[in-house]
Amino acid sequence: MNTLAKFIKEQRQTKPILLMTHVIYGYPSIDESLQMMKTLLEKGASILEVQFPFSDPVADGPVITNACHQALESQPKLQQCLKDISALGAAFPDSKVLLMSYLNPLLQYGFKQLAEDMSPHVCGVIIPDLPIDHHKMLEPLLQAEVDPIWLIIPGMDKQRIELVCEHARGLLYCVSRKGVTGQGADSESAHQQLQQYLGEINQHTTVPLALGFGIASAEDVRGISGLVDVAVVGSALLRAHQNGGLNGFADKADELLSATS
Amino acid sequence: MSDHGYFGQYGGSFIPEILYSSQQQLLKHYREAMADPSFIADVKREMQQYSGRPTPLTHCANLSAQLGGAQIYLKREDLNHSGAHKMNNVIGQGLLTKRMGKKRVIAETGAGQHGVATALISARLGLECTIYMGAHDIERQYPNVFWMKQLGATVVPVTTGSQTLKDALDEALRDWTSSFEDTHYLIGTSCGCEPFPEMVAGFQSVIGEEVKEQAMAQIGAMPDKIYACVGGGSNACGIFLPFVGTDTELIGIEAGGRGDGVGEHAKRFNTDQAKFGISQGYATMFLQDDQGQLAPTHSISAGLDYVGVSPILADLSDRGLVRMSSALDTEVVAAFKQLMLAEGIIAAMESSHAIAGGLREAASLDPSQNIVINVSGRGDKDIFTIAKALEDEPFKDFLRSYLEGQD
Repeated sequence: MNTLAKFIKEQRQTKPILLMTHVIYGYPSIDESLQMMKTLLEKGASILEVQFPFSDPVADGPVITNACHQALESQPKLQQCLKDISALGAAFPDSKVLLMSYLNPLLQYGFKQLAEDMSPHVCGVIIPDLPIDHHKMLEPLLQAEVDPIWLIIPGMDKQRIELVCEHARGLLYCVSRKGVTGQGADSESAHQQLQQYLGEINQHTTVPLALGFGIASAEDVRGISGLVDVAVVGSALLRAHQNGGLNGFADKADELLSATS
Repeated sequence: MSDHGYFGQYGGSFIPEILYSSQQQLLKHYREAMADPSFIADVKREMQQYSGRPTPLTHCANLSAQLGGAQIYLKREDLNHSGAHKMNNVIGQGLLTKRMGKKRVIAETGAGQHGVATALISARLGLECTIYMGAHDIERQYPNVFWMKQLGATVVPVTTGSQTLKDALDEALRDWTSSFEDTHYLIGTSCGCEPFPEMVAGFQSVIGEEVKEQAMAQIGAMPDKIYACVGGGSNACGIFLPFVGTDTELIGIEAGGRGDGVGEHAKRFNTDQAKFGISQGYATMFLQDDQGQLAPTHSISAGLDYVGVSPILADLSDRGLVRMSSALDTEVVAAFKQLMLAEGIIAAMESSHAIAGGLREAASLDPSQNIVINVSGRGDKDIFTIAKALEDEPFKDFLRSYLEGQD
């Protein structure tokens, strides 16, 4: 079993659920975004997902899209981003740092170079506009022990779930519903469907599962505790920062983390 | 075309997983429809009886004589219902939407021509219609927005990013990720994931097919050269594809804008600011910076103001089967005026790029040669842009008095 999956399973021995938190590199500034990442890691967030901004983030909703566009005004460089977040990964060995971005910035950087610069402290990558059919593009990452993190979505047919599970490493990112990031949590009535959905995925893989989209509060995190290994929180932390600055962000992190112990 | 929607190294499908099943469903229905003679007959009937096809091939005797070179013919897509070639595609995809049993269409639009065409066909076919349009484009093309709304469409201003066509496309994709069960994404140009490039180019190919027949009937020979403007590339694909591999030379004219600086033009060829990239669902030549961020674009015509280009054209250009050139905003306005005064034809700013490209080369050709220029749309939609470019003072007076509510 590889590092990320092993890490999650070990952590889960003592925690009912782990938190995967999301920060956009460069929003509202590079320094402040690094401060936000550090805050999360200091507070004990198990997994940090750092989004390198892209001009056309089609899988993101308005909150993250607008933040990405603002982040781009400071012209962030992927090479520097990888240096910065590798340093964080090295400084906080009890947490794992992941990269998230869209295909084009990574493609232009080159996957071989990316693998070299991510390893060993940035241990996985999420690329929402790269379907599983193109998994071969990411082979250089596998050789460097960097895990491509694939998405599973509701309504996916069995054959395709099997295809994704065949290539799954580190963790599987299960999207809780259709749509883009930053929309409301699922209703109570959807809980059973969710159980069924995750049960189906668990039949095909032993890789840890993360659930994302619509998780905004400690209550939401508790609600899926026991169903998955990792709760992914994105837009909610960003909103907390927008409403209350670094303090508001730290408070939100405390609230969310309270659900993981 | 190779498997999975590739055209050489371009095309393919790079969409969020959430759209996968919807795309598969579209592919299946599209292939079935194209193999169904009754669907093909429906498309043909609507093209004739609703849009007014075939559109004429007009010989420009005065313009040809002025330049003293090749005989200039215009393919009059401006005479389609809605005033542009966009109608060809929306008829095809509109009927496909009905066939799939979907009740709603969404579309992106740049100049607004595709938005108006989509709103028209939606009204005719009884479909709900939502149009995404960059806020910047809405400012430039309000009259089109006005008509979309009157036709019952919901027009959503897109205020993210550069607020132009690429952002409208992103936003339409976002809508589709949560609405695909009852909604068809009616893409207006031959870009995006499989099967959109092939499908849009296919419905538009009626343009080139007609030119073939009309050239034989009116000229007695195939044209020596065909010119078309290239934004996303649907009118160019439409007129070019039936001629690929023949002796007719195919020339695409991109928006040269104000100059060669970053953000001053929308050229995806003949510039080192564009390179192979993957975004918006497909691989093509994208204008982008060294970090792979898609670059801002500029054109006097909103319809050419796009950061990517049809993967079909990118491949044809690589293979030397289409030659790409460009025209500056100033050349475009001059060509627009020249055609208008010589022949009494008001071409769209987009189409005037093709005219500028054609006129530039026509003079050096022999009078026995024939060129066809695709007038993809009519120019009366551009009245505000053109009045501004021509510095028409009375037009400003008119606007002032209109706003003051005077007669």
